[in-house]
Amino acid sequence: MGVENSEAWQALKSHCQQGVGDVHLKTLFEDCGRANSFSIELDELFLDFSKNRITEETIGLLVSLAKQQELPEWINRLLTGDNVNDTEDRPAMHSALRASGADVEGEALNVQAEIGVQFDKMEHIVNKIRSGQWRGYSGKPITDVVNIGVGGSDLGPLMVTHALQTINSPINLHFISSIDGTQTSNLLKSLNRETTLFVLASKSFTTIDTLSNAETARDWLEEAISDSKTLLSQHFLGVSTKPDMMTKWGIPEENQLLFWDWVGGRYSMWSVIGLPIALKVGMSGFKEMLAGAHLMDHHFGTAELNKNIPVLMGLIDVWNINFLNIQAKAILPYDARLKYLPSYFEQLVMESNGKSVNRSGEKVSYKTCPILWGEVGPNAQHAFYQLLHQGTQPVMCDFIAPIERDDFDRNSVSDKDGSLRNQHELAMANCFAQSRVLMLGDAAIPDSIKEKFNSPFKHYPGNQPSNTILLKTISPKTLGMLVALYEHKTFVESVIWEINPFDQWGVELGKLIAKEAHAAIKGDESICTFDSSTQNLIKRLVK
Amino acid sequence: MKVSVFGCELSGLVTAGALAQTGNQVVAMPIGVAKVEDLRDGVLPREEPGLSQLVKSQIEEGGLVFESEWETGVEHGEVLILSMPSWRLDRAEEVVKVIGESATRDVLVVNQSSFPIGTADRFENQVKQAFARRGLSAEVSVVAMPEFISEGSAIGDFTRPDRIVLGSGDEEAIKKIRDLMRPFNRVTDQVKVMSTRAAEYTKFAVNALLATRISLINELANNAEHFEIDMEEVRQGLGSDSRIGFSYLYPGCGFGGPSFAADVKSLVGTLRSKGYDADLLKAVLSNNESQKEILFRKAWRFFNTDLKGKKIAVWGLSFKPNTSTVENAPSINTIEALVAQGASVCAYDPKAVPDFKANWQDGSGVDYSDDMYDALEGADALFILTEWKAFWNPDYALMKERMKTAVIFDGRNIYDPEVIRAQGFRYFGVGRGETV
Repeated sequence: MGVENSEAWQALKSHCQQGVGDVHLKTLFEDCGRANSFSIELDELFLDFSKNRITEETIGLLVSLAKQQELPEWINRLLTGDNVNDTEDRPAMHSALRASGADVEGEALNVQAEIGVQFDKMEHIVNKIRSGQWRGYSGKPITDVVNIGVGGSDLGPLMVTHALQTINSPINLHFISSIDGTQTSNLLKSLNRETTLFVLASKSFTTIDTLSNAETARDWLEEAISDSKTLLSQHFLGVSTKPDMMTKWGIPEENQLLFWDWVGGRYSMWSVIGLPIALKVGMSGFKEMLAGAHLMDHHFGTAELNKNIPVLMGLIDVWNINFLNIQAKAILPYDARLKYLPSYFEQLVMESNGKSVNRSGEKVSYKTCPILWGEVGPNAQHAFYQLLHQGTQPVMCDFIAPIERDDFDRNSVSDKDGSLRNQHELAMANCFAQSRVLMLGDAAIPDSIKEKFNSPFKHYPGNQPSNTILLKTISPKTLGMLVALYEHKTFVESVIWEINPFDQWGVELGKLIAKEAHAAIKGDESICTFDSSTQNLIKRLVK
Repeated sequence: MKVSVFGCELSGLVTAGALAQTGNQVVAMPIGVAKVEDLRDGVLPREEPGLSQLVKSQIEEGGLVFESEWETGVEHGEVLILSMPSWRLDRAEEVVKVIGESATRDVLVVNQSSFPIGTADRFENQVKQAFARRGLSAEVSVVAMPEFISEGSAIGDFTRPDRIVLGSGDEEAIKKIRDLMRPFNRVTDQVKVMSTRAAEYTKFAVNALLATRISLINELANNAEHFEIDMEEVRQGLGSDSRIGFSYLYPGCGFGGPSFAADVKSLVGTLRSKGYDADLLKAVLSNNESQKEILFRKAWRFFNTDLKGKKIAVWGLSFKPNTSTVENAPSINTIEALVAQGASVCAYDPKAVPDFKANWQDGSGVDYSDDMYDALEGADALFILTEWKAFWNPDYALMKERMKTAVIFDGRNIYDPEVIRAQGFRYFGVGRGETV
């Protein structure tokens, strides 16, 4: 029996049909205690989930669904390192990476020692680079580090280092991911071979995107460095689960940082894949990020379901998707430093839950992962917010904003700091206003100007649900908390939907077929077995 | 004349001692860590040739007295001299405050310190305002008289100056300082009178020009290596051009010291705070930081990027000969770089070991020797970072005997490549010797 036929699911269905599904948010907000009842705070993170189309009873029924789906047991299995990734027969121990040796059990405890060894090695390398004592071939200190990686080996470090841009770093960081070589050829023009170090980050160390960019980087260095031992030992670091493959490529053992197959790519920034983050903010900053995430892990593992932030967010998304039929979600950070957060969550959420068979391999008959996208909120207001306010799609939104900024002095009386403070307040005003209008629609229009909105083109239906997450500030710690929150809420949804969020078979076939297509482009006769469209496209390329 | 000197670092002590020697009654007051008791006993915070004798003799003859209370100095002096390191502006502010609050008659202040441009005018206004608050009607004048002394030759620089720069619009004040400095201004008139700010700027401009000259000659020397040119030959060709001249034309492993780099940095900082960029001077500073590691880079390449376990002997830690100071010295950057690569260092310096130890963060990785030849024991290479006289004609045979391999990296170009090669050494200078 699928979950959709279960008692708890059916109870939610009838709860929805008995009226809650049709109640407008503005009606729910007639209860002025609502904001207090539907918000929760953990350390430096505050979640307001009151602007969802839910009642206390909805929460109760969702928690019953979670219990029916044995969510507490699944959380325990996840955090202790059970083989929750059953199609690949391994655990998903990203939370073990941030435990710092304490407060974990089971396999997650057993791996602490090997995690510690790699973090110590990482710290040594990071300190050497940041202190200007990692030398290029000519003896000059390395000033620029280029991370070559794709997917999980790119997005996490890119997102976090961009988010922490107000923290000064002695190292300039760059990221190359795309297979086409444009990023590489552009970047190399501005770099100096004497002072550039490349990090090859690839879980499998077979990713063609990464290896092809690495080859280009190596060729570029060879134009100046004749000794290949020096080239490899001073200008390349490797980060992978495959030491043999790194050695084969030429990276010396002391330049290799290891992680393990039980770290999913999209969960790998907590491992040595986070090297660029540590280069940006120091190993102590990196560990603050881990500690922030661990704080969320601990909360996820111990808080009651109805007071558990990832559980609540996951269950409310299930409610929105499966009972209110909302199939789209927007991630809307109100701070340009969080520019890459939407992309990061796109991978985290859609690669995890974009699936249509359950753990037993049966096709599910209910919706799973929504389409998720996003953009820095104030910019998106000038783009796709039109659809949010007046389109035909219901969309659930997550607004994310820092309460404080750390790049100006709050007590300063200088004009510049005053202007920056004003800008921050403006951004927050927009954040709060947008979620309000999405919720209330026309009801948000003040009486004094209602007249001006008397037109079908100026009608705002409202009733779009949203969460608002406020961080104390954007820091390693709060980013750790935030990302761990989304990891866990994604896991919560997978448990309800009975799918495995830790594999990604959907991306494999494309890679394989790309190899065939590449062979065909290079002249292989297999081209005649291709469909006519592909044949035509290839012919246009090779003529 | 009754003179009070605020500041008992090198410049203050030289000024106080030299002025006492010419018959003035001088009261000197420390503004930093130096203690009055020590100074009275002749224990000086800095070593400087001749200074200890000068101070002692003036104490004995009664012309020089050390006091701790600044008010005493304000009361005593017809001329109040501020003579402090550039980074002690905070203390100067305090002295100026005391002057404003406790002076009872006309005040003539001479500022010798390298404070930001405009400081003398600002001090003058502050004292005037303090007088106005107190209802005291008395003249106030702050004259800029930048010091141009160098460590190692400070007394001579003060008593036989190339020029005495006086910045002030107050003719009476200039007359008085001229008279005070008369004994040091005998052969021809060396006094250059100008506006206060021009005088302050002159000091910065001199150091900026010299620093630029050194960095440029260093860059030319580094590049000469690529063409296998001996920079010494080029130096002769350059210096003989009367427009260029020979001074400050020696390539080497970078300049250091307490004032040189600091003054240029300060000027760059002042300009930036006003919204202007000093592109060339910024390049001079970064070029010099890089130059301080040039011997490390040569050794890095010579040993094929593997310095782990190598033993490196270092001769010279001070930023220049005849001083015990390592402030901004290439020795710090160079030895840090060597130790970070796992090399061990044994250092010899006639005077600067205590100061180096005080500036060396964790104290590990470096041994010190009391004897220049002992430092060479088992060394894979020798680095020469300061051109102390004792290094110029060493016992080559003894050196080779002590060293594991006879390799010299010379940051001061004190040897002749031909001679040293004939002695059996591999030799790498700056723009001279072998290229690596």
